[in-house]
Amino acid sequence: MSERDKDAISADELDRMSDDELVRLGTRLDDVRLVQYAERWPVPGTKMERRALRHVTGWFVLAGVSALALIGVFVFWPYEYLPPGAPGYQVRTLYTPMVGLTFGLTLLGLAVGAVAYAKKFLPQELAVQQRHSGSSSEADKRTVAAEFRDAGTRSGLQRRTLFRRVAATSAGLFGLGLGVMAIGPLVRDPWKHGDSPDSLWRTGWKPINGETVYLRLDTGDPDEVVLVRPEDLRAGGYVTVFPFRETDREEPERLHAALRRADSAVMLFRFRPGTTVTSRPGREDFHHGDFYAYSKVCTHLGCPASLYEQQTGRLLCPCHQSQFDVFAGAVPIFGPATRPLPELPITVGDDGYFVARGDFAEVVGPGFWELKP
Amino acid sequence: MSQQRRTSPRRRRLRRWAFLLLALVAAGTLAGLLTPQRQTAVAQESGTQRQGEQIYLNTCLTCHGAQLEGVEGRGPSLVGAGEAKVYFQVSTGRMPLARQQAQGQRKPVEFSDDEIRALMAYVDSFGGGGAKMPEERGEALRGNVARGGELFRLNCAACHNFTGRGGALTSGKYAPSLDPANEEQIYTAMLTGPSNMPVFGDRQLSPEEKRDIIAYVESVQHESNNYGGHPLGSLGPVSEGAVAWVVGIVALVLLTLWIGARA
Repeated sequence: MSERDKDAISADELDRMSDDELVRLGTRLDDVRLVQYAERWPVPGTKMERRALRHVTGWFVLAGVSALALIGVFVFWPYEYLPPGAPGYQVRTLYTPMVGLTFGLTLLGLAVGAVAYAKKFLPQELAVQQRHSGSSSEADKRTVAAEFRDAGTRSGLQRRTLFRRVAATSAGLFGLGLGVMAIGPLVRDPWKHGDSPDSLWRTGWKPINGETVYLRLDTGDPDEVVLVRPEDLRAGGYVTVFPFRETDREEPERLHAALRRADSAVMLFRFRPGTTVTSRPGREDFHHGDFYAYSKVCTHLGCPASLYEQQTGRLLCPCHQSQFDVFAGAVPIFGPATRPLPELPITVGDDGYFVARGDFAEVVGPGFWELKP
Repeated sequence: MSQQRRTSPRRRRLRRWAFLLLALVAAGTLAGLLTPQRQTAVAQESGTQRQGEQIYLNTCLTCHGAQLEGVEGRGPSLVGAGEAKVYFQVSTGRMPLARQQAQGQRKPVEFSDDEIRALMAYVDSFGGGGAKMPEERGEALRGNVARGGELFRLNCAACHNFTGRGGALTSGKYAPSLDPANEEQIYTAMLTGPSNMPVFGDRQLSPEEKRDIIAYVESVQHESNNYGGHPLGSLGPVSEGAVAWVVGIVALVLLTLWIGARA
């Protein structure tokens, strides 16, 4: 049926039609034919129907009860920490599961109820819709094209070439501006400030204005500053350290940030006396006695390579099983990592604390395009 | 020149001998008095130590040597090892070793508490400076759980997993599960760094911090302390992800089938 057929139906005819007939007409106008459109319950109020309705209602009642229970659990269930074995521990461990259970039951009840209602009470419907042929009619195509041409001529835009160009150029420039705004922020030269501590070439250990960089422990409290002295480590021990500058002491944000910097984590080892240790060329004086400091960032994909075996001197990265030999300059001896862990040059300052003698001599962490092997 | 008192040559000889004897005795006494005492205190051989020596000679000698000097290729020297190290190795059943392997493993303990104490006393009498046992025992070694959890994740979790499940290291070695460890064993392990475990001296983790860590480990042993529901092995994303995928996706598929089925 096309537009004309609709107009063929007079208002009187429409007035006389029942809702049922109007529905049939509407679907017919959309080229949809209802093959089957049967009531589920032709006789209302049967025992079967009432039972089906009870069934569906049950799901919504369940949802309502669970929702109330969810509120009750959330407000009243005890959740404060108690150690295992303490009276009340079992109840408290059930807090999260109970919240999840009541939350899930509520959602499930609503969803199953809705679907079950549709399955049991909506009419059984089988409809067939005609497919239309693909393109518009020839008349439609020609008339629309003519309308566009007419608009061009009548508005005078076709004639006024200069005006048209100026207007189009302005709009185009605005579009260009939008494009610049969208893409501009993506255009960056990460190598412009190659000497900044924030570039890929440098780390948080890079000395700034000649200020001493100490080795600092992470005690779990980011405001606490604990520096490391040689006697703090027993032979066969190791500890993870981060850079610290005296000017950061009163700056909580910088104290926190120093512990979170991805490239700053360094492992400080104290080898057992008598261990045969070889350094890589050019790094013979990076260590302080039995103390050696290596970057904790795996040179494969940047995981913390921190599984340290103090007798074999092997350092294992848990992500892809790269192994480094810290008794031999932390060179990779197994797994996908190809570059040694960079060594941090350290010494002990006048006040007895470990200090870094400078930044790493090479790039920390996984490789990137610009990194020449 | 006065008249010389003449003495017979025999008496003269006698006097010489007596003088020599006196000088020798005096020198000996003087030497005995002036020679400094040996710095390494030789502990009094007590009954406990004798018992320890017996146990040592019977079970440890083959690998650690008669004078605790160690045997190349078998076992390290125990001079200066200290009682804490002996306690950890013997009370966890790691020593005596069943056979040479990648690392000693926990097995049923060979000795009674008294025998272990005797062995500790015997080894401790060799060399000074060894790691000592903590003052407290048992429950008294448990500190602050929350702080301990923090310290555990910073220092221990890399190898032992975040709830002490343990994990693999290189070439057959592994970080053991902490489930069977009691308070003293965790303490002495941190202090002495058994096998390939790094040493955490008292200046790196203070005794108080060690007690905090012990409290945390004891609280998560045997997959307890599960405030988020079932721990699924306490292994983290692997088991949790597997369950989410298998159980979750099967449930979703079944629900979808039910929704799509004609009533």
